[in-house]
Amino acid sequence: MMQKRSKFEQGLLTVLTVVVVILFMIPVFWLITTSFKFGREAFSIPPKWLFFDFTLRNYEDVLATSKIGLYLTNSLIVSLGATVLSLVLGVPAGYAIARSGSRVLNMSAYFFLLLLMVPPVAMLIPFYLIMRDLHLLGSYASLIILDTVFDAAFVVWMMRSYFADVPREIEEAALVDGASRFAAFWRVALPLSIPGIVASALYVIIFSWNDFLFALMLTSPETKTIPLGILSSFSAVEINWGKMAVMCIFAIVPALFISLFLNRYFIQGATMGATKG
Amino acid sequence: MHHNLWKFLNLIIVGVVLVGLIGCTAPVAPAATAPETAPPAVAAGLDACQGQSLVLASMTDQYVAAFRVLVPKFEEASGAKVTLDELGYVDLYQKLIADFVGHTGNYDLMTVDIVWSGEFGQNLYTLPLDDFMARDKAELQLDDILPVAWTLGEWQGTHVAYPLAGYANVLNYRKDLLEQAGIQPPTTQEELTAAAQALTDADAGVYGIALLGAKGPAVAQDYMAWVQQYGSRLLDDEGNPTLNTPENVEILQHFGDLFSYAPAGATDYWWDQRETAFRSGNVAMMEGWSIARAGYENPDISSVVGNVDLTVAPVKEGMEPQFGFGGWGIGINADSTPEQQECAWQFIKWVTSPEIQKEWLRNDGAPIRRSTMTDPEIVAEYPWMPILLESFEKGDGDYRPRIPQYSIIQDALGTHVNAFLVGQETAEQALEAAQKQVEDNWQ
Amino acid sequence: MRRALRGEGAYLLMLLPLLVFVAAIAIYPLLFSFRISLFKYRLTDPNQVQTFVGLDNYLRAFQDPIVLTSIQVTLIYVAGTVLLEMSLGLALALLLASEARLMRGARSLLLLPMALPPLVVGLVWKSLYNADFGVIPYYLKALGIDVGRGPLAELNWAMLAVILIDVWQWTPLLMIIFLAGLKGLPLEPYEAAFADGATRWQRFVHITLPLLKPTLLVALLLRTMQSFKVFDVIYATTGGGPGSATTVLNFHIYTVGMTFFDMGYAAALANVLLVIIAILSALYIIILERQQL
Repeated sequence: MMQKRSKFEQGLLTVLTVVVVILFMIPVFWLITTSFKFGREAFSIPPKWLFFDFTLRNYEDVLATSKIGLYLTNSLIVSLGATVLSLVLGVPAGYAIARSGSRVLNMSAYFFLLLLMVPPVAMLIPFYLIMRDLHLLGSYASLIILDTVFDAAFVVWMMRSYFADVPREIEEAALVDGASRFAAFWRVALPLSIPGIVASALYVIIFSWNDFLFALMLTSPETKTIPLGILSSFSAVEINWGKMAVMCIFAIVPALFISLFLNRYFIQGATMGATKG
Repeated sequence: MHHNLWKFLNLIIVGVVLVGLIGCTAPVAPAATAPETAPPAVAAGLDACQGQSLVLASMTDQYVAAFRVLVPKFEEASGAKVTLDELGYVDLYQKLIADFVGHTGNYDLMTVDIVWSGEFGQNLYTLPLDDFMARDKAELQLDDILPVAWTLGEWQGTHVAYPLAGYANVLNYRKDLLEQAGIQPPTTQEELTAAAQALTDADAGVYGIALLGAKGPAVAQDYMAWVQQYGSRLLDDEGNPTLNTPENVEILQHFGDLFSYAPAGATDYWWDQRETAFRSGNVAMMEGWSIARAGYENPDISSVVGNVDLTVAPVKEGMEPQFGFGGWGIGINADSTPEQQECAWQFIKWVTSPEIQKEWLRNDGAPIRRSTMTDPEIVAEYPWMPILLESFEKGDGDYRPRIPQYSIIQDALGTHVNAFLVGQETAEQALEAAQKQVEDNWQ
Repeated sequence: MRRALRGEGAYLLMLLPLLVFVAAIAIYPLLFSFRISLFKYRLTDPNQVQTFVGLDNYLRAFQDPIVLTSIQVTLIYVAGTVLLEMSLGLALALLLASEARLMRGARSLLLLPMALPPLVVGLVWKSLYNADFGVIPYYLKALGIDVGRGPLAELNWAMLAVILIDVWQWTPLLMIIFLAGLKGLPLEPYEAAFADGATRWQRFVHITLPLLKPTLLVALLLRTMQSFKVFDVIYATTGGGPGSATTVLNFHIYTVGMTFFDMGYAAALANVLLVIIAILSALYIIILERQQL
């Protein structure tokens, strides 16, 4: 049913893809090589991409002197917690806003947007004081709650646009059969929007995974997340690049697994996508 | 009142929502107000720590390695539990401020940058240590600590932090390159400029000197070092800012001239890039903190092993030599409980005692005591120790003004000195604008 | 009851949990930030004195030369990042839409930049950009291009250099959003167009783009708002320099708030930024609403 692409076109697209990937991967590759280098070679000119004095010293250092395992565990707990919570709260809300005819409900979407506009610096101290008064400083809950406030606002807006793409007629058929709105949402709209949910989930995981400012203010030594761990490779006179590169790699690997895992659900959602362009 | 009402209403709502959500989490209850602190009159020993637990916030400078080794030893000797939290410069500062402002008392002990002394002192963040010091005078050997080291945490006559790690601004140079060119290590700024010019061979990729030019703290602090080395000041006798004196403008010109003999990217250098430039062998000279010295002999990170020496930082010709001094003190949170404060003081006493100082130094700590710096074993291991001692003896801990407004001065210079270096402003315009910016924000 | 759940009541029930949650957590900080902008309040003051000064902080903002240049810088930064990321993101989504193994692998790899904290990304790129031992200037020099003081230190290049960092990190995110949008599109219009013998380009312009518009607009909205609030990357690379070439407004707010602790003024600046974003968002939303009618 689709126009077949010629061999030449196929080849061109493949080459283009490879070039794009290589360009995007240069900094990542630089981090990987740096993690296996001695400090003196990290900045050698001409750059050494493949042939250098290979060492595992940086990995040994990180494993011996930093609590990398703890940081990763904490990051996973916070990211997954915030993701689950903001999807549970945000997806139905996005659906409600997309489907409701009520002006008031629709306006509430802009309240969430307002939140995303305020520069966090202005709210950092009040958030800190709230968490102090709730006796939540240093707990996972404080970070999960705060991340969710912002993440869920994103989820609402993204899901609103994806649900808008799902044809109403399919749901109405279900409603005619006597299903409740919830059932229509749960059995019809939700399965059709899986790619959107996956994209939203990815968005949320990424933002919680990378969050620096809130994590900085709200964590204790026991609940530190990976971005804070990475930044401890600074001293007054230098950055320990080897150590930092190793921690970056530890930060990337779980994220890679998560993205590979979520990638599978893209296909399940709607398989006909391939070459609509 | 209004403020409290909102807070109250909000807390009720939050509370209702969250009780169901989170179940029960009960971290340590925060200290609501700073307790009245008067240390017991009787001297206390390490046994005051029995059963106490402390959290120590340490900057991830070299000396953090020494803390990693010494903290467990202290725990063993005292029975206290000490958690070491290692933080980078920015994170350390912001976590401390949040802890102080929110009176949460999360950190009992913290490393305090010399330039924070005024701010922490004026705002009563850290506990003045004078009572403790008077009480335990007999065991402290205060005279052994170099006079300049007391600037690490002194504010208007009280000690809001105790000396922990002293850094001297020194001149590192490449013995081999200077010898080849037949140049003696410079002792004055005039000689330094001449040497930098002579040693620069851009075609060969070798430059005379590495400098900090990046916008922000980096360029501000390097310029401040040059102001000091030319015998000028940023504040007048009453403590008012005088950034734009004709003298300072001239110094800025000299500072700018030096960039002609620095690598092309120097206006973009932070400390890290400056170190990289020197260690990779591209530059012949570099002024910087003495703590980096040992790293040049480490073949893992340095390509100039065996070719580096250091000397005191050059000053203007005819000027009575004075050398930039910086580093870290260690302070006690004013919000910690009196028992924790007592134990924290025991930790400070212990880690700065002459017995422990040698171990502190051997694990990458930085010195504060004359006895350590003149110890024959130490001098044998660190041959540059006498130069450090000389720098400390004529040290100037105030070249970066240790006043509550320091960050304002640093920010203004950080912006405008950089603007001058990249050709956006002339030297006069730059310092004029910096002076105005400081006056506008002065509180 | 059952009737109610089939009407608007059901929608309200689905929205309510989030609304209550967000309101409970965020209302105090929002009001605090608004209220404090009318006060002179130094965060580090041991007595926490707050003096009412009316609109003084706002008046000060409009006389502050840094604010005026930084608004300009911010607009350039936002326009540059959003335009580049939107168009590149869409191109990548179309390129990698197929489920062939190569494309799926490429998609996963492209997500890696996002897994690094922006602060670290900034530091890594600062090193890659370094004129003396950075990888990028090394190859540029090899091509005979004069890099001067390095991309981040030249007045004319610094902005482009930081924009490219943002593009590197966040284009893949937009790719994912668009990809999800593409996968949700209905098939029928394409079949009809195919029957009519439309070219691939015609199908893209006349079917894909219009159908994808809601997704495009939401991505534009969210990305614009984030771009306005950029801080970490600037902080770690140029510190707003050289001179004030990359001093975006949010960076200035950070300096005022977390370096000078002048919270009243910082809050006022934050509200100025908020108003700018709100006006722009309102424009987007008007367009968005039209689309969905």
